[in-house]
Amino acid sequence: MKTLIATREDYLIAWLAALAVTIHIAESALPTPLPGVKPGLANVVTIAVLMRFGWRTAVWVGLLRVLAGSLLLGTFLSPTFVLSASGAVASLAVLGLAIHLPGRGFGPLGYSLLAAMSHMAAQFGAAYALFIPHPALLHLLPVLMTAAVLFGIVNGIIVRSLLKHLPQGH
Amino acid sequence: MRSARVVFQRGLAFVLAAALLSACSHPDPVQERKFLAMGTLVEITLYGVDPSRAKTLMDNVEGQFHYMEDTWQPWQPSALARVNSLLGTTDWFSIAPSVRPLIVRSQVLSKESDNLFDPAIGKLIKLWGFDQEPRAPGPPPDAKQIAKLVADNPRMSDIHLDGIRARSDNPATVLDFGAFAKGYGIDQTIDYLKREGVHNAIINAGGDLRAIGRHGDRPWRIGIRNPRGEGVIAWVDVEGDQSVFTSGDYERFFIYKGTRYHHIMDPRTGYPARGTTSVTVIHNVAADADAAATALFVAGPKDWYRIAKAMGIHYVMLVDSSGTVHMNPAMAKRIHFEGGKTPKIELSPPL
Amino acid sequence: MTRADWILIVVTLALLPLLYATLWQRGGLGDQVEIWAAGQPTKILSLDQDRTVHVHGALGDSVIKIQHGKARFVSSPCSGKICIHSGWQSHSGELAACVPNRVSIEILGGKRKYDSINF
Repeated sequence: MKTLIATREDYLIAWLAALAVTIHIAESALPTPLPGVKPGLANVVTIAVLMRFGWRTAVWVGLLRVLAGSLLLGTFLSPTFVLSASGAVASLAVLGLAIHLPGRGFGPLGYSLLAAMSHMAAQFGAAYALFIPHPALLHLLPVLMTAAVLFGIVNGIIVRSLLKHLPQGH
Repeated sequence: MRSARVVFQRGLAFVLAAALLSACSHPDPVQERKFLAMGTLVEITLYGVDPSRAKTLMDNVEGQFHYMEDTWQPWQPSALARVNSLLGTTDWFSIAPSVRPLIVRSQVLSKESDNLFDPAIGKLIKLWGFDQEPRAPGPPPDAKQIAKLVADNPRMSDIHLDGIRARSDNPATVLDFGAFAKGYGIDQTIDYLKREGVHNAIINAGGDLRAIGRHGDRPWRIGIRNPRGEGVIAWVDVEGDQSVFTSGDYERFFIYKGTRYHHIMDPRTGYPARGTTSVTVIHNVAADADAAATALFVAGPKDWYRIAKAMGIHYVMLVDSSGTVHMNPAMAKRIHFEGGKTPKIELSPPL
Repeated sequence: MTRADWILIVVTLALLPLLYATLWQRGGLGDQVEIWAAGQPTKILSLDQDRTVHVHGALGDSVIKIQHGKARFVSSPCSGKICIHSGWQSHSGELAACVPNRVSIEILGGKRKYDSINF
């Protein structure tokens, strides 16, 4: 029988996910001007992890954040969870493609922006397809995407300064 | 924190929808109501009226329309039906006060229009079956019967009024205010709204309308339906106090053996007027616009200018059966054709 | 900031106005149809779901077809067939009515192009 031993990487992922979950929950208590518009600060952790520890780790952290966050908040399998999960999966998938960009590739800003936009697009798509297939909902999309772009850039700047103060990983 | 979160998630779909609704309608100062009356769809639009007050006003307008519908409909027991039966006796009788003003005004309009607008031809309307909705299927009436009714020549001028008494010289006189009562009813209800201090409103009865004031910072924009085909052919901006009336051969008609028979009768022939597809008139008073649209339709592409001049109408657009649009220059300035598709236009001298 | 970052930001900022332009300039097109029967609104249907609806009226059934964001009467038990002649309705505020059968349809949503329609 094989025993389950937590590796150093497991601990790392757990700590980072816990951090992301904390931010995620704290942010959920913030009032939002428009549903679906959130700074997405938890993405800061995902991007930082992506750049320091690689995509696989970022996927773990990203998915654990959504899962643990929803369990803690009691939204597991609720519409919010579905929206949140679709956003996380889409942004991780896009990041997975983006890291293969040849040359110097993207920096924190680029990753953050891509993640924010794909998160919003997927979340919107899921909301539209699963909950309110109302064409007028499309009028909201430009506003939501504008917010995503703004927060994506701001978060990217945060990631950049964060990485300067963090010791090199690996 | 949990409860706030729960509210957020549970209501996510709802909140999105609510945000959407509020985004679309929150500063919407327009109140609308639709109902069926006088054999048509009536639409009230109020701008900048408090919703609860708007409800009261619209209730009253709706009530007035139902009252007018009951009073002025010629083919079932009503005040007008009673007047009609007594006109046939050619004796003096006391006339219903609700009917008298329609007769007074339509006598003037009938005279101005050279009798092309003639509400006294109720018998002809009935003979053609246009008193019924839907019209009972069947061929057009017998030519001899039509000729007889034309020879009887009932006219508004056959009716004499003396205070509350009235009589007709012509036993064939039967009033059908189909082409006039709607306009008159719109005027009555617009006057009521004005008395109640409403400055911005539209009352649209079956596509004919009178608009007062404006839509906030812009004039009211009125779409004019394409008489052949679908959608809107053109639009006009209206503000202050103006009526836009269109008479078209597509409003009520039947087709028998490939020929189309519509409801706008030429009193001179006893047959549906030929040569015109639709006439749009812009004028201040709705009743006059209503009568003019009918009279100009009957006058047709050759004669409309003379009749419009006689009736004091300043904005006319007539679409003839070949699709050519006849307009006076002032109307041409106001009409904006949809989608840049300008039809063939013939301008008349100024009216 | 890498070159890819810059390109991405520029492209994104250039595409945003385009998104507004495409999604906010549906000017005049409605997205729902409201069906009235017997003087009462009976149902509201989305225009982006193609279907045919039978509405029971005073004289019989009116058949209303919804297709490609438009709606129209396809048959109605009236003599004039004005409702059918009115054709496809797609702009907000447009309506078609079968008065004898007391059935009407009106396009809702979107931005209204006309305050009232003259016909």
